[in-house]
Amino acid sequence: MVSSTVDHMIAITVFLAATLLFIGLFNQTIQTAVIYQRHRATATKASDLLDNMLLNPGIPVTWGQDNCTPTGFGLQDPEFTQYKLSPFSLMRLRSSTGTPVYYPKTGLTYSNISMGFGNYMLMPYTEAINYSLASILLGINNTYGFQLTLTPLITVSVTENQAKSPLRLSVNVAGTGFPLAHAYVSYCFITVSLAGGGGSFPAYTVRYGSVYTDEQGSASVEFADVTDENLGYAFIAYARLSGLTGVGFRQRASAMDQHVIPFVDDLSENRVLIAHSYDVHYIGPPVAELKYNATFVILTEDFTLREVPLENSTGKVGSVNYGEGKPYGVVTLPTDNPGILIITYRKSATQGGVVMMPWGLSSLAFPVTFGGDPSQQEWVATDIRQVTVGGIAYQANIALWSLEGYQVVG
Amino acid sequence: MMRTIEVLIVIIIITGAFIVASFFAVLPWPRQVSPVNLRRLAFTTLQMLDSNYELSRAAFETENYTIWGGLQVALSASLPPNVIYNLTVYEVTGKTTQLYTFIDSISNAESLGATSDASSYMVASSNVTFSVIPEKIGEHGGGGGTLYILNCSDANSWWITGYTAHSLAQDLNNLLSPYFHETVMVQSTTELATILDGNPLQGETLQSAVVINTCGEAVPIPSGYYSSPGVGYDSARNSYARYSYVLGQRVLQYNWTWVSIVGYPLYYVSNTGLFPTSQNTWGIYGMRDVGAPGLNAFLRGLDNQSYSYDSSWLTGSPGVVSLSTEALDSSNYYGVYPSPYQTSTRALPTSILGTYHLDVTTYVFNTVGNLIPAAVYRHSGTGGIYQGAFYSIGLTRTPDIRLTALGLLADYRPRLYRSEYTANGTSRLVVLQLGLVGGV
Repeated sequence: MVSSTVDHMIAITVFLAATLLFIGLFNQTIQTAVIYQRHRATATKASDLLDNMLLNPGIPVTWGQDNCTPTGFGLQDPEFTQYKLSPFSLMRLRSSTGTPVYYPKTGLTYSNISMGFGNYMLMPYTEAINYSLASILLGINNTYGFQLTLTPLITVSVTENQAKSPLRLSVNVAGTGFPLAHAYVSYCFITVSLAGGGGSFPAYTVRYGSVYTDEQGSASVEFADVTDENLGYAFIAYARLSGLTGVGFRQRASAMDQHVIPFVDDLSENRVLIAHSYDVHYIGPPVAELKYNATFVILTEDFTLREVPLENSTGKVGSVNYGEGKPYGVVTLPTDNPGILIITYRKSATQGGVVMMPWGLSSLAFPVTFGGDPSQQEWVATDIRQVTVGGIAYQANIALWSLEGYQVVG
Repeated sequence: MMRTIEVLIVIIIITGAFIVASFFAVLPWPRQVSPVNLRRLAFTTLQMLDSNYELSRAAFETENYTIWGGLQVALSASLPPNVIYNLTVYEVTGKTTQLYTFIDSISNAESLGATSDASSYMVASSNVTFSVIPEKIGEHGGGGGTLYILNCSDANSWWITGYTAHSLAQDLNNLLSPYFHETVMVQSTTELATILDGNPLQGETLQSAVVINTCGEAVPIPSGYYSSPGVGYDSARNSYARYSYVLGQRVLQYNWTWVSIVGYPLYYVSNTGLFPTSQNTWGIYGMRDVGAPGLNAFLRGLDNQSYSYDSSWLTGSPGVVSLSTEALDSSNYYGVYPSPYQTSTRALPTSILGTYHLDVTTYVFNTVGNLIPAAVYRHSGTGGIYQGAFYSIGLTRTPDIRLTALGLLADYRPRLYRSEYTANGTSRLVVLQLGLVGGV
């Protein structure tokens, strides 16, 4: 009788312990399956959401060039189909990586997609689309977080091998780790002339040309008439091969501490503000006045650069100063097409330079990162597409993560 | 002692079961959980290379080593380093039994690794101009001309297994947009509410539009007015069947053609923001089960009858069904070729024709007894004038979206104006196959 009871007790104890152990083990397997499903759903959503953004122009379709707040989010160029994006819609995305810039004279904060000295893209927050609005318009608010990155596929780097007599520039063209051999490179070279009295505006000369890259994707360009190593210039190169097009640029300035900075003022009116850099960066010492002379170049359909002259009435020349009571300059661009605003400036008879701003993000192949930060997320699904923006090859990359718990979301 | 031995035997059996289960429950590779969409990457790469017709030129000049060398460099430069490729060009002949003839191929690897996928792209010679101009629906009277595709990011789907609503929406856009004046993707339930209110999204013509619901058996429901008690929500029955009734009313009011692409129409309502913790009894959250009352309420709304909660099941299951002669003719005319045999498990009965004053204007599948597997129903209004329509495809999952396009084209019959479409040797097919190397 006793042994039977002991047997019973041992059996029950062992059985219960084993049952608990196995429930735990099976539960682990089920949890793994649930997490797998959840991650898989996130990956599918990433692919769909990326297409959703890239294959519709948004509502209204012209929101990229209007000042309106869109009621539907999409980045496709409304004049095209398929994966061709609007360079203006991309301009309106608030960058999540660039440090915002505050300009006291307008009282506005600007989204910053600039690429170092002399290459600016500053869009006022009042016109930029923020991450939260995009999430709401995409219908993923509080459900998913995302980060969209658009990077140029072709890297065109320009380096200065010799400063004068002749000025020798090297153009290197490469894709994702692979040089673009025998690519056609068309370029635009703008030099700044500071000659003249103290009150004169800077002048500029524009010339065009083309070369082919060698087996290593390199090409060399020489300008024999550049005999002054302080001569300011801007060099813009478009490289093209078998449907792939990329942009590179370089500029030199003799006055880098004080210069002019362009801000987007009104997209629908094609209006740009020109500010004195001391009002923005407070990097001194301040210089009383900078004179500027602006021009606009566009990429034509045969992939050459052409100047679109600005009329005097558009504010192409002017002067800016720092401090209160000194207004900023205003330039109105003559076209709705993408292009590059090039502003030559003069600090003194011997010092000056040139700054550029793309009108339409692709004109200078600026990259943009938009959305949240994926670095702290538990699981991030990614996907990529090849797209063209204003004829320039880009790669669109999305990172998507779920903001929900562990429930299965279909 | 015996009981202890029995327990030990049970433990051995459960251990065995666990080992067997673990053997099959193998953790997938990361690339299977979150795969790079190689098909889309290949397609977008081909599109980009052809953005200035340079791929088309290369496909017709395969003997020109400069152009092909450039193409090879461009491919290597545009693809990520861990992606290998094989690009093949085929001639489209059509004169022999072999439709595609191999022309040339380039590749940067001997094999395409463990995972690969491909996309094809048709290019045309610069020597010929193809021209097929479709007539726009509503161009010659009858109004309409707008196609709404419900592609709501904040709504989930059911019974479109293997697809997503978005991918179906893209396919529908490609198939049908040439036949409509305007195609509008309804991206969220908020936008759906806007058109239900009678306001266009992009200045399009709202009246007499076609509305395709890509969410399968679920229908997106806007939060706010359309889900409020007495409007979209039946408080007495704790059901959103009333929303289906409002949809039916709107279809009648705006003379829409409402399209249900698969299964039992209006069986669920979905809005991920409105129902974050509700699921459709199958584990899909953001969704509420409505059941059979949804379709009954919709039909009552379409017939301008008063709302009542009717839970009677309408559909039958005739099994394998075949395309009607009318659909087969349209299939040839529009070049849309779904399989002529499909399985129907949600066919509507002929009794609804009398009950709700409906006429069938196009049978997409032949009827089986008193069951209609898929058809376009038009509501006969005052004076016998059609007002409001409903295209229901009562097939089982997985949906073939070409049937949706085929049924609409068969019903509206837009004409095609063709020229040079039979020219030979003027088209080539470019197939880009991508594979992944390295990693797991």
